[in-house]
Amino acid sequence: MSNLAARFEDVSKRYRLGLSRESLPTLVSRQLRRVFAPGSRRGNPQQTLWALKNVSFDLERGQCLALIGSNGAGKTTILKLLARITRPTSGSIHVKGRLAALIELGAGFHPDLTGRENIYLNGTILGLSREYVRRHFDEIVAFSELEPFIDTPIKRYSSGMAVRLGFSVAASIEPDILLVDEVLAVGDASFREKCLKRIQALLKRGTSIVFVSHNLYMVQAICRQAIYVEKGQVKHAGDTLSVIDRYEQVLHAARTEKLAKGDAGTNGGGIPADITNVRVEGGSSAASGVLDSQEPAEIRIQYAAYATLPPVNVAVFIIRSDGVTCAMMRSKLDRFSVELDRGCGEIVLSLDRLQLATGTYFAEVELTNETDSMVLKPAPARSAWFTVKGRGRSYDDRSGVFEPAGRWAQAGLPEAAGRLANI
Amino acid sequence: MIPAEQTERGPGSFRQTMDLLYTWTGRHIRARYEQSLLGWFWAVAQPAAQVAIFTIIFTRVIPIDTGHIPYVLFSYVAIAPWTFLAAALTDMTSSITDNMTLVSKIHFRREVLPVSAMFARLIDFAVATAVIVVLLAVYRFPVDPGRLLLLPVVLLIQISLVAGIGMACAAANTFLRDVRPLLVLVLQIWFYASPILYPVTQVPQSVRGLYALNPVAGVIEGYRAVWLSADVPFHYIWSAAIVACVCLVGGWLAFRRAEALFADVI
Repeated sequence: MSNLAARFEDVSKRYRLGLSRESLPTLVSRQLRRVFAPGSRRGNPQQTLWALKNVSFDLERGQCLALIGSNGAGKTTILKLLARITRPTSGSIHVKGRLAALIELGAGFHPDLTGRENIYLNGTILGLSREYVRRHFDEIVAFSELEPFIDTPIKRYSSGMAVRLGFSVAASIEPDILLVDEVLAVGDASFREKCLKRIQALLKRGTSIVFVSHNLYMVQAICRQAIYVEKGQVKHAGDTLSVIDRYEQVLHAARTEKLAKGDAGTNGGGIPADITNVRVEGGSSAASGVLDSQEPAEIRIQYAAYATLPPVNVAVFIIRSDGVTCAMMRSKLDRFSVELDRGCGEIVLSLDRLQLATGTYFAEVELTNETDSMVLKPAPARSAWFTVKGRGRSYDDRSGVFEPAGRWAQAGLPEAAGRLANI
Repeated sequence: MIPAEQTERGPGSFRQTMDLLYTWTGRHIRARYEQSLLGWFWAVAQPAAQVAIFTIIFTRVIPIDTGHIPYVLFSYVAIAPWTFLAAALTDMTSSITDNMTLVSKIHFRREVLPVSAMFARLIDFAVATAVIVVLLAVYRFPVDPGRLLLLPVVLLIQISLVAGIGMACAAANTFLRDVRPLLVLVLQIWFYASPILYPVTQVPQSVRGLYALNPVAGVIEGYRAVWLSADVPFHYIWSAAIVACVCLVGGWLAFRRAEALFADVI
């Protein structure tokens, strides 16, 4: 237990549905029915939902644990239980140390009050003392980059500014355990970058983090361990890559099943085809998620077509973690014709050698029509992050992105040797 | 890695709760007067208007015998604390439901919400009390300094009473929204069932025993004893103190029991 930050033991949480919203007439009529027609099942108030069922896991000190799963799977319930906002129906939860929950940014903000006053409000509600906020005040304001507006009522702030202020307060907390919900999904790219840096700094200090996000790229960037929750139960737990892989398999299977039933056409949201999964696989070391720069690689694109389509053009981009697009491959350039029939299938792009420098990348896939005049799927599909082990030791500014394997040769030039003597 | 003083000041610790209470009370007050020109004037305006109306009615239309005490003083001394009680209870009742997002997303001592709502009204009451002092000076009404010793006792009784009932109402209102309209109704009846517009001496002897159970009677007669040197109604004050204690303990216990369910039912 000494190295544990939190432990969930066989925790279940049941919610009653509809009980609190009953009006007097329905209450009375139900009671009457119970008396006069005991067999009747109509209007049964004991409708319950098991938001969590027998969930157990350990959170170690300094560990970053991701909770993934679809909406309503129970991820937020786990966070709320850890944060003691709600209590379990059965089971026990142990939390060791100071816990802070970033479930909502800017909690307690009052629009009529100034940024300054709201920093104190938000800070104290998050469990900081006024003194602590006072000492970190300048730091918080500097982090938010809102110095000129700090004495302006926050109702005059843009929503982005308010979120920034909220995050800056939250970022000043130095808890033992930090719970992060979807909050990081808001804000622009630079804001997200800032959040990530802050989270990584906390991890280095030994803070344990429980991270909930639908953004699997972010999950991979931060967390080594993950738990896949579905219908209130733990489906899979382990290292992040394997858990995400499992999760994506389930998602893909669900989509395929829907398609087979024939109701996916309406769920496509007007998109004639969807890319359901993109995977980048190497030759021998595929399982570990690390690809060798000099080995063959395959990019596997699984798709679901909701109708039989005219030939399409598939574009694959390889993008490095800092956003640099390193390569682009188009089926049209390679004179390969992709024809999608209604149903699911897989397109495989094989590379003789990956030839990328050491680093972290992902692949992005775009579907366009034959003439490239129209994007068939608005949001490009992405693969999970993959790491490439190149021959260079690590990636720095001078290691480049491309690692072509060259052949070297050397020969003497006797006729030029005479000139050497003259120098 | 964590500053030493932080480790003992997690959410729910005494120090943190006090800080939160202080900040949150300030939030109520500032938010109420932030974009208002007359600000504190409104804290006095409502009881003052009521006193003006009642004074006209009960001196000219249906005269009430208040002895040597001018009716303005007689009623204002009662209406100021009553306004505090009524406004605080109303605010406290909706304090949890008004902050649903906080309660369902953040862990902190939930008592802070109703209690800070009460303290914010207490500040208004302090302003209204300052006006009592002004009125006493204007009417050249002598105050017995010894009687001022009674003031903290009466105030404590009143605060306990309001805190207890308010917390119970706040908890109940999260489960059933009927509590708030019901409270408004009860306050209306309670106003006339308390010796605000009339002295206790006007209450028929036969119901005095029952009347003493109304803790507001003890509180108001207590304030009259402090400011207007009326007789100290010890048995009323004792009864009010007991009722207030029961309310405080009962209300708080009820609140604590209900608290665990707030996030789920809200």
